[in-house]
Amino acid sequence: MIAQALDILTTAAILYAVATGLLLVFGVMKIINFAHGGLMTLGGYAALVTTQLGLNPWLAIPAAALFGAVAGMAIERFVVRPLYARPLDAILATWGLSIVIGQLITIAFGRGVQFAQAPLDGTLDVFGESYSAYRLALVPIALILGAGLTALLQGTRLGLETRAVIMNEDLARGLGINSGLVRFLTFTLGSALAAIAGTLITPLSSVDPGMGVPWLVNAFMLVLVSGASLVSLLVSCLVLGGAQVLVSTHLSPVLGGLTIAVLAAIILRIRPQGFARD
Amino acid sequence: MTESRRLGFILAAALLACAIVAAGPYLLDTYSVNVLTRSLLYAAVALTVDLLWGYLGILTFGQSVFFAIGAYAAGLVFTHLDFSNANAVLALGLGIGAALLTAAIVGWLAFWHGASALYASVITLVLPIVATQLLYSGGTFTGSSSGLSGFTSFDVSMEGWFWIAGFFLVAVTTGAFIFVKSDAGRLLVAVRENEQRCKYLGLDTSRLKIAVYLACAAIGAVAGYLYAGYSMVVAPELAGFVFGTELVIWTALGGRGTLLGPVFGALIVDYESAQLSGDYPFVWQLIIGIVFVLVIVAFPRGLLPMVVALPRRLLARARGPASPAGEMRLVRLDPTLTQGEAPGDGAALAVKDVAKHFGSLSVLSGIDFSARAGELVSLVGPNGAGKTTLMRCIADGSERSAGSIVVNGHDIGRRPPEACVALGVGRKFQMANVFETLTVAQCLQVARVRHARPSFWKRSRTLPLPEAALHVLATTGLDRQLGTPAHLLSHGMKQALELAMVLALEPRVLLLDEPTAGLTKTERMQIGGILTELTRRQGLCILLVEHDLDFVREISSRIIVLHQGRIVLDGSVEEVVNSELVRQVYAGSGHAGIAHSAQPIQTGAPA
Repeated sequence: MIAQALDILTTAAILYAVATGLLLVFGVMKIINFAHGGLMTLGGYAALVTTQLGLNPWLAIPAAALFGAVAGMAIERFVVRPLYARPLDAILATWGLSIVIGQLITIAFGRGVQFAQAPLDGTLDVFGESYSAYRLALVPIALILGAGLTALLQGTRLGLETRAVIMNEDLARGLGINSGLVRFLTFTLGSALAAIAGTLITPLSSVDPGMGVPWLVNAFMLVLVSGASLVSLLVSCLVLGGAQVLVSTHLSPVLGGLTIAVLAAIILRIRPQGFARD
Repeated sequence: MTESRRLGFILAAALLACAIVAAGPYLLDTYSVNVLTRSLLYAAVALTVDLLWGYLGILTFGQSVFFAIGAYAAGLVFTHLDFSNANAVLALGLGIGAALLTAAIVGWLAFWHGASALYASVITLVLPIVATQLLYSGGTFTGSSSGLSGFTSFDVSMEGWFWIAGFFLVAVTTGAFIFVKSDAGRLLVAVRENEQRCKYLGLDTSRLKIAVYLACAAIGAVAGYLYAGYSMVVAPELAGFVFGTELVIWTALGGRGTLLGPVFGALIVDYESAQLSGDYPFVWQLIIGIVFVLVIVAFPRGLLPMVVALPRRLLARARGPASPAGEMRLVRLDPTLTQGEAPGDGAALAVKDVAKHFGSLSVLSGIDFSARAGELVSLVGPNGAGKTTLMRCIADGSERSAGSIVVNGHDIGRRPPEACVALGVGRKFQMANVFETLTVAQCLQVARVRHARPSFWKRSRTLPLPEAALHVLATTGLDRQLGTPAHLLSHGMKQALELAMVLALEPRVLLLDEPTAGLTKTERMQIGGILTELTRRQGLCILLVEHDLDFVREISSRIIVLHQGRIVLDGSVEEVVNSELVRQVYAGSGHAGIAHSAQPIQTGAPA
């Protein structure tokens, strides 16, 4: 019982960390960044390099953020910017980028499965249940990410401008907000978050050139049911992630892998705005 | 070029392609024949992606699933029931049946009334993920992750399979080509361009999408069935998201909306992949990825249009300017056929207690009026009075929050726009709403689809229109521009074209939302003349939203004044024009005294 509750909590935390970057980009730019999976892979390899260099595993997070941000800047400038008016094409172009990133990594690191060192080993006792310390640590990390983003959006001038662009881009531009810059910074931040998410999930799974892709679809579905709100993303991660854990343990892991995608599709069919408040 | 000559050319090209396929095994080495057989079948699936994405505008990631369904139908039947001729037919039937069933479920989910393009894409993305997981969890029945192999199949040589795959591809491509160039096929582009306008022209776009989707699923299933028969291996990857996106990549590279582009894209990329991936596997994928991104960003129409653009331009220069306009001939429909039965004495339009609210915000309440055939009722009122909302409520049964609307004696209930059109409602939008890439004649043809079922293989050379629509065309001079693409028309011409399209529907109740907005004085007078004539001679009931009060006064038989979502006045032109109340509504009560006395109603509000 406790183990299951912890499973749900940590799964939701992982999903939240994975989906925030995608949500940010979708909210501001109204495009789906299918390079998100590729950027996550990039973060995974940042963790691998950190391990191979024998550095402190926690350093992988800033390293991944740096790699992701630089890649994001290039992608925004050369690929996403010309496609603002063609959102479905932007999905395709960023998917193409995902392929490019995956192949570049394959050429550099080989195709094989590798492992990165976890920053935290061992287990912790929670209400008499011994549980993976790293999985537990992901809960506060995800909360910090969410709180940091919320603070950025609610508390800074850039955040205010970003929210203005989310609500009404034309009006925001008319009021002198450089929406191009907001988009650029958003994409950079979203890419950095994707890479950080990639680093965070590596201790739980292996590192390979296609590691980001399975996460992409789940993250994508979560974002679609959440609209552009970090709060509703939290709700959908808990509900859908929880459903995934329950289906996996009680029915079958295979069906569990489908839970988020199928439930999200049904939710959107019934209520097109998903968990967002209109 | 006559219609039979055009079809003759297409069939001659198809025969030439068949000859090339027939010669293939004699010219190619065994390895290439083997690889190309697979590529030919993949190309047939890429063709379905193009039909859905390039023509209909549905970006689909899930066509791989239908290929896999066909392949697994063969694999499962041949593995578990053994191969026999009867079982081969059974497997084909099962494959097509299962594909159609899956497509029907997906279509019901993805193409419901009001679903967005993104949602449809999402569903097609979920489909391969579900399919792969189901195949994985099938245990020994589906062979799980290793799939099925080692089953017996048709006793056909490798050359034989090449020919089967090649002829299949040529047949499917030719059929698709004839279809998309036909009058019925043009509807696909119309739906892609402007689905809303299609619905308000009485077309059930959801049904159209599902029908095309079902046909594409069946083609994919047959291709997959042939694939299993020839390769004798089926694996879960066939249903996967990666293969699904590969099909999209080939389509994009070749050129969406060209049919031949995706076919060649699939053939070349898949064949080259097999050749090069042995030596440079990752580099080859990398190059494909880079070229794909480049094409999407810089050449969204794909590579085929670039390749054929140059010879086509030279050809056009040699031939001299083409005159497609001369090919279409307008025909006047017999008025006794278009007018239907004479308008009865009852109300053509009866609106009872209609209300509309968004949450707690009430936009319309207690709207109650009726209008007879032959009446031209103008709806006036300041911006935000609810005029356009009322129009929407009459043309789409799902819009209003309460009340009932009866058109020609039929309650519209909760019917969608296309069903309201069938009851006799015609709606012209505030902003000119036409099919930008279609020509004037083609736009009008789409508007006639409700009355005359279009051919699936021919192009009509005549355009029969009711008198009213012809009258609009003749008055505005559009009849001389039948071959002009709509996006090249001036704003006023677009407005006239949309009016002609709506009149081509033969409506009994015509809803016009500022039909003269942005028009010159002369154009406005022309439209006004047409409208009064329509009510007088054809007995139409017209509901008109207008801001230009002089115009309203000249043509209306009755005026309804809306203010803050309520009817404040409903009466003859004289009554309304001289009403103190209307003066207050427009000028604001505090400024009633300064309203101009000679022209009592000044809106001052821009269109």
